[in-house]
Amino acid sequence: MKKRTEIIIYAVVVGSIIIGGLLGIYIIGSEDGTYNFELFLPIVIGALGGFMVFLFLSKWRQKRNGNVPEVDERTITLMKKYFSISLYIVLFGSGALLLVLFAMGVESIETGMLIVYMMIIYFFVGIGAFVTKQL
Amino acid sequence: MTKVINHIKEIRLKRGITQIQMAEDLQITRQTITAIENNKYNPSLELALKLIQYLGVPIEELFYLEEDEV
Repeated sequence: MKKRTEIIIYAVVVGSIIIGGLLGIYIIGSEDGTYNFELFLPIVIGALGGFMVFLFLSKWRQKRNGNVPEVDERTITLMKKYFSISLYIVLFGSGALLLVLFAMGVESIETGMLIVYMMIIYFFVGIGAFVTKQL
Repeated sequence: MTKVINHIKEIRLKRGITQIQMAEDLQITRQTITAIENNKYNPSLELALKLIQYLGVPIEELFYLEEDEV
């Protein structure tokens, strides 16, 4: 990857985290009536700190393994397989879960519960993708 | 059922090339080299050609088909 593209990607990611944080301040402010801009500093420190940890880890990895890429053709093939399998598991698993819930007499689902369910799915799919990448 | 077998490990060890060195030169991961050497993964045509060029051996010396007896 070109150095310029890499810098743009990092800037977009860090920028998006900061914008997300600001949106959080705005949402809390619109609910409570007070906009707490003191939270801005922790947001910036958190985003930049996280980026620094990532940068440090990638430099350390490069020092240990040399100039070896993180991803190659085999990793991409494995990821494709993993995501195609996990898609079906999530799709049919969710369908089965809905059927079970309906059979149990549950007729409505709270949006909050759906958010929790999606978070659990993202968590497990993310962990699985990480493990697949290391294979 | 046929299986692709290769002699990459033998040739690599004979030349004293480490997996890390080979991974760096071919821009692939060390895990991929291990998988290819253990016949667990068949490289793409592009990578196979790169391997042939890197090790400087004819294709038939590097890869061959092993047919299972039924």
